[in-house]
This record gives sequence, C-alpha cells and structure tokens, in this order.
Amino acid sequence: MGREVAESCIDGVIIEMVSAYSTRFYSSKPDVAARRIEAIGYQVGHQLSERYTMERPRFADHLEAIKFICKDFWTEVFKKQIDNLKTNHRGTFVLQDNHFRWLTRISLDPAVVANTEAASEGESGADSGAQMTSMLLYFPCGIIRGALTNLGIPCAVSADMSNLPACKFPCDTRQLVVLVF
Amino acid sequence: MIVCVAVVGHQNNPLYLESFTGGDDALKLHHIVHCSLDVIDERVNNPKRSASTLNETFLGLLYPTENYKVYGYLTNTKVKLIMVTTDLDVKDADVRSFFRKFHAAYVDAVSNPFHVPGKKITSNSFSERVGTIVKSFGHSMSL
Amino acid sequence: MDPIRTYLGRLLLEEITPVVMVITTPLAEEACQKNGFSFVDMLLPFSLFPRIDVPVRTASDQPYRLQMFKLRLFHASNIRKQNYEAAEEHLKRVISDLNEKNPPDLLSEPPQLDTALTKSESDLCPGWIKTFNKELIRTVSFSEHESFDHPVACILVASSKDEEPINKFTDLFNMDQTPPLLNEGVMDPKMLKHYVLLHDNQDGSTENAASIFAEMRGTFGQYDCKMLCINSLREGDENNNEVMWLPYRNYGILDHGKTCCLNTDDLNQIREFMQDLTCNHIIPYMEQKIRILNQQVSTTRKGFRNQIKNLWWRKGKDDMPEAPDGPMYTFSSVESQIRLLGDYAFMLRDYELALSNYRLLSTDYKLDKAWKRYAGVQEMCALSYFMLDQSRKEAEYCMENAFATYLKVGSLAQRNATRCGLWWAEMLKARGQYKEASSVYTRVSNEEPTLHAAIMLEQASCCYLLSRPPMLRKYGFHLILAGNRYYMSDQKQHAIRAYRNALFVYRDNSWSYINDHVHFNIGRWYGSLGSLDVAIKHVLEILACGHQSQPTQNLFLNEFFHFVQSAGKRFDVHKLRLPTINMSSFKVIHEDHRTYASAADFDMQESVWRDLEEEMTPTASAPRANWLDTHPKSSLKTYDHCVCVAGEVVRVEIELKNPLQIPIPISGISLMCELSGNSDASTLDNGAASFAVDESTGHTESPVNRLMDGDDSSFNLSKHDLVLGGGETKRVKLKVTPKVEGILKIVGVRWTLSESVVGYRYFEVNTKKKTKAKKGARISSGKNLTLIVIKGISKLEGRIDGLPAKAFMGDLQLLNLKLRNTSESAVKNIKMKINHPRYLIPGNSRETDLSIPQCLGEKNAHEEERYNLTDNKDTYKNLLFSFSESNVVQGGETFSWPIWFHCGTPGKVSLLISIYYEMENSTSGMTYRTLRMHHILEVLPSLDASFVISPCPSKLKEYLVRMDIVNRASSESFSLHQLSCVGDKWAISTLPSCTDITSVQTVLAGQALSCFFKIQDLNGVTEGECTGHRSNMLMGTEGSREQLFDISKSPLIDFHYQERHHQDKLAKVSESLLDFILISKAIGSNFESEAGSSHQLLSHHMCHCSVTRKSLISWRMSVPYTIYHDFSSSICEVELHVDVLNCSPNQVNVQVSTFDYTPDTTENPSSDWSGASSLSTKQSGWSDISLENDIRVMSSPKKVQKYHKSTSESAPPFVWCGSSAIQLSLEPACAARVPLKVCVFAPGTYNLSNYELRWKDVEGLSGSSAGQGHPFYLTVLEGPHGKVTPV
Repeated sequence: MGREVAESCIDGVIIEMVSAYSTRFYSSKPDVAARRIEAIGYQVGHQLSERYTMERPRFADHLEAIKFICKDFWTEVFKKQIDNLKTNHRGTFVLQDNHFRWLTRISLDPAVVANTEAASEGESGADSGAQMTSMLLYFPCGIIRGALTNLGIPCAVSADMSNLPACKFPCDTRQLVVLVF
Repeated sequence: MIVCVAVVGHQNNPLYLESFTGGDDALKLHHIVHCSLDVIDERVNNPKRSASTLNETFLGLLYPTENYKVYGYLTNTKVKLIMVTTDLDVKDADVRSFFRKFHAAYVDAVSNPFHVPGKKITSNSFSERVGTIVKSFGHSMSL
Repeated sequence: MDPIRTYLGRLLLEEITPVVMVITTPLAEEACQKNGFSFVDMLLPFSLFPRIDVPVRTASDQPYRLQMFKLRLFHASNIRKQNYEAAEEHLKRVISDLNEKNPPDLLSEPPQLDTALTKSESDLCPGWIKTFNKELIRTVSFSEHESFDHPVACILVASSKDEEPINKFTDLFNMDQTPPLLNEGVMDPKMLKHYVLLHDNQDGSTENAASIFAEMRGTFGQYDCKMLCINSLREGDENNNEVMWLPYRNYGILDHGKTCCLNTDDLNQIREFMQDLTCNHIIPYMEQKIRILNQQVSTTRKGFRNQIKNLWWRKGKDDMPEAPDGPMYTFSSVESQIRLLGDYAFMLRDYELALSNYRLLSTDYKLDKAWKRYAGVQEMCALSYFMLDQSRKEAEYCMENAFATYLKVGSLAQRNATRCGLWWAEMLKARGQYKEASSVYTRVSNEEPTLHAAIMLEQASCCYLLSRPPMLRKYGFHLILAGNRYYMSDQKQHAIRAYRNALFVYRDNSWSYINDHVHFNIGRWYGSLGSLDVAIKHVLEILACGHQSQPTQNLFLNEFFHFVQSAGKRFDVHKLRLPTINMSSFKVIHEDHRTYASAADFDMQESVWRDLEEEMTPTASAPRANWLDTHPKSSLKTYDHCVCVAGEVVRVEIELKNPLQIPIPISGISLMCELSGNSDASTLDNGAASFAVDESTGHTESPVNRLMDGDDSSFNLSKHDLVLGGGETKRVKLKVTPKVEGILKIVGVRWTLSESVVGYRYFEVNTKKKTKAKKGARISSGKNLTLIVIKGISKLEGRIDGLPAKAFMGDLQLLNLKLRNTSESAVKNIKMKINHPRYLIPGNSRETDLSIPQCLGEKNAHEEERYNLTDNKDTYKNLLFSFSESNVVQGGETFSWPIWFHCGTPGKVSLLISIYYEMENSTSGMTYRTLRMHHILEVLPSLDASFVISPCPSKLKEYLVRMDIVNRASSESFSLHQLSCVGDKWAISTLPSCTDITSVQTVLAGQALSCFFKIQDLNGVTEGECTGHRSNMLMGTEGSREQLFDISKSPLIDFHYQERHHQDKLAKVSESLLDFILISKAIGSNFESEAGSSHQLLSHHMCHCSVTRKSLISWRMSVPYTIYHDFSSSICEVELHVDVLNCSPNQVNVQVSTFDYTPDTTENPSSDWSGASSLSTKQSGWSDISLENDIRVMSSPKKVQKYHKSTSESAPPFVWCGSSAIQLSLEPACAARVPLKVCVFAPGTYNLSNYELRWKDVEGLSGSSAGQGHPFYLTVLEGPHGKVTPV
C-alpha cells in the first residue's frame, strides 16, 4: 500500500498545476483560478483524510480532529508535523508550519526583484512573487479544508505567508458551525 | 454467510448496497440496512457506553433480526459500513478484520479521482473486491 | 406521574374489577327484552361509579377511601373461557365494525415529517386500536389460573310472574346454567348472593309482587333481597326519552330504536340498586373476605416456621407427576386462597397486600412448576409494582418473566402472553420508554396471527416515532411490515394507511428502492380499491425508475397503463417523468430578418455570419434596431425579445431521454403555445408571470385543453410520433407556425405516452431568461420563449443544385443557385456574399444554359466578358456579388443563377453563402432580410502536380520543366487533358525528343508519373517568332482532337486568381516565374453518384513555380564553331561574345575576366573581390586597368573593343585580346552581351575555357564560375581567306 512519489515530482506537479491555472487557463481572472486550485486541493484533502483516518478511533470533538490534521495528516503529507497550533476557543484554529515544504523551493524571481529594485519600485516585483506564492498556497488550503470538512468540520481556511518559508493556516470553523446549528 | 454489505454516506444516503443471496430479497435487505442506520445514530449519539468503545469505528452487533445479524462500522468521515450475515456464531475478530478490508476497499474506491464524493459507488473493481472479501469471510468462518 | 392517571392505570381500574354474575329466569329476561336488551345490559350503564366515596380499611386497619369503582356484570352463561376460534371470530367482528364506525381517511394528503413529529400518541395510532387491545385482553378473561375474573357476587333474578319464585331462586343457582369453572371447583361457590325480584309494571299492579318480595325477605334475609319495577312507562307521557337513554347510548346498547318502556323512576331505581349493591354489599364483602383470607394466610404461611414447613412440604410434592399446566388447584387450596386474597386486594387497590401475596405465591408456583399460574402471578406482581409506582426494574423483570413463561407454556397461554405483552408495553409507555415498548410490541406481533400482528406492529411503529430521539427509519420499517400484514389479512385500507404514513421516511433521501416499493404498493391497493386517480398519482412517482431491474420496470409500466385504461378518461400529467426532458438541450430556432436555408444552418455562430454580411447589410452593428425603430409599437422593452414572421415556422428543439430499459412509444409531441393578439410589450412580462402563477397552483383546469383551443385559429403546431428505445435519447424538432401577428409565447411541450397518458411540461427557461436578459440578450438568444410575431413578409428560399458533399480537389463544376420567393410580394436588390470565393464564384446570366465543358472551349469565348484581371485581384478576397438591379424576384417565382464551383485544397471546408435582399414594399418594419446557406464540403485529394523548372543549358530563354504528378485519390483515376501556363508570356511545348507523353495520359489511383516539357519565355520575342508557340498544350492523344480550354477566361482565370491569392501565402520563393494550370478529367470514377458526370473537369492550379538554379546568373559563350582562315596572310582574330543573364531578383555585378594560362585550382575559387586583387598581383597591370575599364563599361561598352597584342611569356596556342577583365552590373532579369576577341596563331582546336565569371549581388550573395567557364571549343582550319562560316 505504501506507494510513494518523489517529493520533487510532487513539487513539480503542483507548481506546474498552479502556473497552468493561473497563467494559462484563467490568466485573466485570478480569483477563478484560485477557486479551481482550491477545489482540487479540497478533493485531494477529502480523499486523503478518508485514507489516513483508517484504523483510527473516531474523533470525540473538533479539537481531536484538528490535532489529527496537525500530527498524522501533516506527517503523511509533508513528513513533518505542524509546528504550532493556536486557537481562540471560539472555533478558530491557526496551524503554523515554520518550514512549509512546498514553499522552501519558492524564491522570488531574481530578475524581477533586480529590475524592480533598479526601477526602485519594489511593490510590483514583490507583488508578483507574493501573488505567485499565494497561488501556490491555495492548494494546501484546499487540502486542509477538504480534510476537515470530510471529518465533519466545515470551515474556511486561508493562508498567511508573511514570513516565508513559515506559513500559517487559519481555519475558521465558527460561522459555519453557526450555520450548522 | 454474509448476505449483504452496504456503504451509507454521511447523509444516510446509500452509496453502495450489494446482496449476496441469489434470491430477490433486495427489498428486505434495503429495509434492514436502512433500519440499522437508526441503531447507529442511537449508538453514536447517546454515549452511555464507556469512552473506549465510544469512539471505536467498529460498532459491533447493531441488532439481531429474526434470522439476520447486522454489524456496523462507522468511519471517521461518518460513512457507515454495514454487514448483514446469517451466521449465528460470528467471531468478533472475523467481523473486525472483514470491516478493515472492506474499509480499505472503500477508501481506494473513493480515492478514484473520477468518483464524485457523495454519489453512488459504481466501480466494478470495487464490487469485485468486495465480493472476494465477502467470500474470504465465509471461508475463514468455515475453517 | 401518578400511575392512576396513566392509561394503564385507568385500564386496570376498569378491567380488573369485581365480577358480578347474573342469573335470570326466562320470564325476567323477557320482561327486559321488551326494551330490546337483556337484564345485564339494563344494569350496565349503572355499573360504573365515577365517584363513590366508600371508606375501606386495609387488612392492617389502615383506612382509605375508594373514589372510582366499577363492577363487571356478566350473565352466567358468559362466564366461561372462550375457545380460541370463538375469540378470533369475535376479534374479527370487532375490527370490522370498528372500521365501519370510523374508516381510515385515505384521501387526505399523507403526513409530512415535521407534522408527524409533532403529533401526540393519541392521533398517531388510531383510537380503535385501543378498543381492539381491550377486546383482545378480554378474550382471556375467566381463565382458571387467575381469580380476579371470578364472580364476587351473584345476582339471582326472577320475575314476579314466575310461579313460586322462591324455589326458582334456589334452583336458579343450582341449575346447570352456572358457569363450568364453578362446577369444576375452580371458583368458590360460596359467593355473595343477591336476590332480585323483577316486576314488570305492564303486567298489572305490584301487590302480587310485593307479597312475593315479602316472602323472599323471609327466606333469604332482610338485606339480600331487592325488588325492581321496570317498564313502568305509561302511554301518553313520551317525555324526555333521549335524556334518559343517554347512558345506554354511550354504552352502544340500544342502537335499534325499540320502544322503550322504562321511565325515570325505573332508572333511578336501578341506579340506587346498583349503588346499594356496590357500597353496602360487595365492597364490605370483599373487605371482610380479605381480612379472613389474610388471617388464614398469615397463620399458615407467614412467619419463618411456616416458610420452612411450606418449603419442605413442597419438596415432598415434587415426585407427583407434572400436569401440563402445573398441578390442579381447587378454590380451597392454599394457593388459590392466596391468589384470591391478592386479587381482591388488588381490586380494592390495596396494592401492598396484593404484591406481598403475589410474591409469596410466585415462589410456590415456581416450586410446583405450575408455570401458567406462576406467569399470571408474576404479571400481577408487575402490575402492582406499577400501581405502587416503585422499583421499575422489578416491575419490568416480572413482566419479562411472565411474558417468557407464558410463551414457554405454549399455545394454551399464548393469548395470555399477548395480554401480558400489551400491559407491559403500556407500562413502558407510561414511563416514556417508548423504544422498549416498541420492541415488546414487536415480540408480541411474532406470537399473534397476521391481523393482530399488523396492529401490534403499527403500535410498535408509533412507539418508535414517539421515542426521543425519534427513530424514523424503524418507524417506517414497522409501518411497512404492518401494512404488509394488513394486506395479507385483506384489510386494504389499513394497509394503505400504514404505507402512506411511512412515505415521508423514504421520500427525501435516496432510498429509491424502498420508496418505489411503497409507492407502487400504495398505488396498486388504491387501484384495487377503485380510487384510480390516487393510484395513478402514486404510480406516476415511480415511472422513471431507471435503477430498477427491467422486469420491475415492466411491472410498473404495465400496472400504470392498466390503471389508466381502467380509469378510462384522459390524464394530463404535469411534469410526467417519462420521458425525461433535457432542458439544457432546449433551443428555439426562429427567423427574423435572418432566414436560413435549412435548420442545420442555425447552428453556425452568429458572429461568423455577421462578419460575412458586414458590408452587405445596412447596419451590421445592431441589425435589428434599424427596422425595430420603424416598428410602430416597438419600445425598448421589446428590443431584446426576438421576432418572428407570421406564416413562418418557429422550431423548437428538445432532447427526450428514456430512462427505462424498455422502449416506450410517444405520440403527438407538440408545443403548447399562446398567441396573444396585441403586440404590446408590457403583456410579455405579466404573461410570463401568469404562467408562473398557474404552475404554482398546479393547473386545476388542464392547460393542455386551454392551450389547444387557440391552435386552429392563430397558429398551427406540428405533431411528432416516435418510439424511444431503452435508454435512448432523441432530439425532436417541434414546429409552431403563427398565422397572425401578435405575441407568441411558447409555453411548454405536450406529449402522449403510449396513447394513454398526456404529459406536459412548462419551459422554465422563460423566467431564467428574464434575469439573463439584463446581462445581455446574446446569451439567451437560443432560449427565447416570447416572440413578437410581425406581419408576414416575403421570404426567399434558396438552394444550390448539385452542390456535392464530396468532391475531388480541383473539381470544376457549373452549379445552379435557385432562389424561390415563397411569398407573393417581390424582393429586389439581391446581393450575395460567399466566404470562400476560392470555391464558389458566381457566373453571369448567360452561362445558365451552358454546360461544362463546352462553355470552357475557346470557340465561344466572349471576349468582352474577359475580366480585367489586375483589378480583380483585390476584390476577390471576400466576394460581394450584387446581382444586377434589373432582376426582381416576383412573388412565387424562382430565380436561378449560375455558380461556378471549384475545389481547393483537400479537407473539410464549410461554405457560407449569405444572400441579402430587400422588400419591394416593406409594410412591416422589416426592410431587408438575409438568406443564409451553409454547406459543408469535403474535398478529396486528387492529382497532385509539382513542377521543377531548370534552365535549358543550350538556350537562355528556354527552360526544361519536369512535372511530377501523383494521383492521391483512393480509387479514382484521371486523364490528363491540358497543361497551360498562365499569361501569354510563356509558350509551352513538348520536348522534341520525347513527344510521347501521350502514352501516359491517364493516371491511375496512387500512380505517380513525371513528364518533361519545354517552356519558352516569350519576352522580347517578336510576334513572328512566337507564332506556333502556344501557352496551352493538349496532353491527350494526338489522334483525338479534343478542344483546348481557354484558361484566360472566366471562370478558370477567376479561380486561378483565387488560387494564386491563396497560394501567395504559402509561396516561399520570392521570385516566381510562372503559373501552370493542369486540367484533367475524372474517368472510371466510383464517385459518379456524388460528383456527377464521369467527364467532369478538374483544374489544378500550380502558382509561383520558379526556376531552380544553382547560381544567380547564367551565361553562354556564343561563337562560330569552325573558322577557316588563311594563316599565311595574318593571324586569325575571332570575335566571340558571352551572354550573361541575371536571374536573381536584384541587381548583380558581374566581372568577366580572361587569362592566358590555365589557372590552377588551388587559389582560384576565391570568390570575393579581395581574392581578385590578390589574383591581380600575379597578373601585371590588372588592378589599374580594371578600374578604368570599369568606368568604361559603365559609360560605353563600345570602347571595350580596342585590341592590343598580349605579351605573355607562357604562350598558349591562342591569346585573349582586348580587355582581360570586364565588369558590368545587371538589372534583375535582364541580359547583357560581353564581346571578347581571341587571336589564334595556327590552325587547330582550342579549348577556350580559361575565362572566369565572378558576380555579386547587392545582398552580398556572391559566387564565381567554378574555376573556368563552360568549356568551349574553337576549331580553326587553314582555308580561303576571310571566309568565316558560322554554324
């Protein structure tokens, strides 16, 4: 059962997918591209959670499920655990990965950076890079959301990459919980 | 022998139901499976049992009808696996192992990228695999 | 809660009460029967005392009061155990007349989930079930093993008309009409006796009776005697009858309106009698009896010693043989005594006492293995526990125990088990343990015959629903089981009721299998009950059951059709599921100013047509606006509604799918439309709204009828019949043709399923479109359901005769465009636009009668028709052909125009032809229309010719041409007919050597051949020379004088220019020499069917053929070959010259240099001018001369011819004289002649190859003749002086 794929391949596939969606298919409307990528991630997370929760007792509450995501799920996917999990006890959890694997190989295009610095307006270069990275992050967001939803925790997941390669994933289960009840 | 296995989604919608009796008692089996959902809900919702068994995926014997025994299994993703057997003395271990295999088969089936979550499972390979699992179950019983 | 308040409590208070046995003389009965009821019935209403306040004392002198009390009166003959069959009969009767009393309502809507959850138990399971339960329990009364049914008292009744009534009384009791149990000694014969003398006032005065009564008192004692006077109603005072009979009515007695002779006094008397009997006799009697029994029991059994003794004694009894239901106990036995004590205590509500005795007794019975009695006692234990409302566990345990034991006893006690179960369930319900109760009911149902089982299951299902949280699925399941049982014991209404109540469980989520079964059975049963509409309604639910097996589908369908036929009338079913209509495929095709030759043309994108019609239509931007504004009633609202023309067809395409595996015949598929007369825009919306409304109201009056009535007057519809195979999907094109102008609403579609059921469905897209229209009508253009019908205007229908679907590349045909004006008014100013003028070119009117290939011949070439080719070139990009103003197509007549057709490159091509025409008299807003024709043409590959042109070595102006022909057709073979080169600058001719290309005139399929020609450039050739040269060459056999085709006239030349224009794009060589046209004929064709006559013409156009050369320039040295010279006189000077031709597209500098030694090859091919200078260092005086030479050449080539003797030491037999290097620059494609002179000193043959040409064009592309020029030999002979003979 233990079929494995070289990590570089995964990275390549993801980067290719992101670039394909964001530059080729929906280059005009990035939000659609983001939604599509997130949807793919959602399905992946949905199915992965289905697989990784085999042979486990059911989760008593949300916190257990989230912990599962942080520990086992994350280990299965990224070979490491989430480094830091925070929650305000009102349904929002923040998963922080100090060394997010899929971002370790991301670096802003030096040419872009250079000429933007030369042009002394660093925003666009930084923006393009940031935008690209955020595009990359929609996929893991989708994965987390899919997994949690499949575990019965509908939530909204965003990503915060203020300081790379550390990455935070705030999962907000609150308003949806309100919707549920 | 096992007369029926079923997969029921988290909205209690049937995802897969296969009867292994030649006869056309599909309706009855549907009813049995459908009713067993009530028992599962009951088991899960009122935690009168001890915490250890509370969260176990294997729910054990749901209820004995006049000539069937219905066993249940509830995954973390609120998917119910149900097995109806006519054997009177079933060893718990056998049922557990059966459900483990069954669950694995289910997971592989839904991991198929062309499977739409929440829709009926229509993959032939899945049904074949389940068939073999069921046969093996009967076999192990006979041993 | 207080157990008394609970249902079970009340039940017990009513059911477990003292029994009073009544024995009457026949005369007494007779007296009662005057009123139509028995004596018991007469007393019955007064046997229940809601509030008699009787003080009682327990055995231990605890005072308490009995509030509510009841006596059970039975005639002695009824005090016996019913045998099973009798009980069954009785119960059946009960159920049936319960049904008559309140039949289940089957016409109301089945309950929904939310309503069912809010219901209380009472209205969940119908009330008659409780009565049934009571009856069921009563069937086991008077059993020997329990004594609360044993009569406590006995009322002996004699009539005053009996002779010596005293004796009557005595032998009444001894007569054998006393119950068998009494005789068997199970009951205690020593019971409280009460003697009643019944006097019928209608039989005269009461004196006699009074005397008898006195006598009775004497014999039986003061208090135990009573005299009742009845029937004391006189004629005349028919007073408040109804009020009096009220109690009887409540008891259901006295339903037959018999004359009733009791009056108020009688009733009061009876009431007092009963009251007195209860308070003063029965209760005290029981109380006292309890005391006595208690005494005995406590003396015999209470206390440790007694226990031990008792135990030991029982042990001793063990060896006695086991009776089937335990040992026989007479009333006198201790056990019976205890039991009696317990029961009395229970009936007097002294539950502690009862309980203690029951428990005491149970151990005994257990030891005796008297299981039935044991069970009975356990039962009573449980009940007493319940009434005491203490230790529920005990109670349940006892019940369980009793139930199990009864079952163990077997068929004898089976009904007792049922009763026990019922009580048990009631107890659980009273405590809110509904789930357990339901399981008890289920267990009971297993023991009972079908009908009872059904009732039990129904109660079980109720309990499941009432349990918190409600277990809906079990509720449904048990209802289904119950219904099934009901059905088996043909109680169809109840079966239906049960199923209906279960419906909502399966409705929502996708347990279709069960849902289908339920619906189907309900339908079937309704059908058998005769209410077919409901039946059909239910079966309709499951018609589209694709998931079912095929036989099941068959079953459903047949049942359905059976119902429909037996119903007889026509059914209009909204949203009939068969077949399923795929609304996404829904499409409306209508023609406003854009008309289409065929429906298929509608599929083309609007944009394509727009581009095509751009400069043809008046305003391409918003084509509708221009005439809509002229439309009188048009407002902005109507702008995005589409328009159709009265009298013209509007097509609607939908996709029908058959979900089943069995074919279904569908007939009469047609649209439902409404055509409202006024074309006011405002009505559009509220019209749509109105449809939305009556969709919601569910169409009380069949819309089918409503929408049909209009159709003969204002529009007519097309009807389609088809059969959908299993799982098949078909597209149907429905047509509606409005006749008058107004607003046409396409409302929905209607069809008939196998001639029996009419289904109809509304198009919801209407509402969707409204929202869409905001964004832009473009999107919803295909789905517009509201059309403005404008007045009928003229319309052209067009087609092109004989336009093939497949044709060979290069196929050339003359087709005929036929335009038919269907209307009566004329159209004018017809223009035509073709997207591929390479394929289609309109001819001119003369050619209509002509026929290929004669018209192409040279003979009838209309010279004036010859196009001016140059200015055509540009206009041919996108041909706009406007027919001459003169031709106006009158109404109804057909206008035809020739069209030349020619196939370009192989492959699929879609030809778009748009024809624009204007109305002669445009009464309506529409001034013009366009007719759009779309044709998809597949061009098959045929001959594929390529040319290689190489310069002829001998002549500068002539070229050798190799034509390679490959026949790429699959099976077609062609015969080459003619090869022509376009324009008159070229002459083509066969090579003199090989004139026999005629041998290869036909090219078979797949064959490749190449043949050689010579072409000659006629530039600067005088007319005289070029006569005899032809630009066309016939390739046929010499013998057959087939006519040549004139390629220089239409249409060949037009197509040629199209081809040329087309091939311009792919022409790689900038310098193009000439174009060829190869004309061939298809012979032996297997495409005759498609491609018409076998002698059809193919013309292949090979443009931009260019000469393949190795170098930029070509040159030849031309001299006389042989010279006679008299060397005696002088040395021989020979004039010769080199002709240089520039073949490169741009200017070239050429240098011709001669040298008198044979240059060695090492240093020679230095092809640039530096190399030349290096070479000049070797030759003295090269460079300086060269420059001025250069200038001279530029200025005047004449001067070059000055000659001086060369002084070179290495003396070849000849020397070049004149300038050794001449340089000149050549304009593109022009030639120059460079004169040279050579001096020969002796006769001989000389190789004049030691000259060299170097050239360089402006682009730096340079080269040189390889070492030497073409070798050339000059022969000089000794001969007569000055005689030069040129060759």
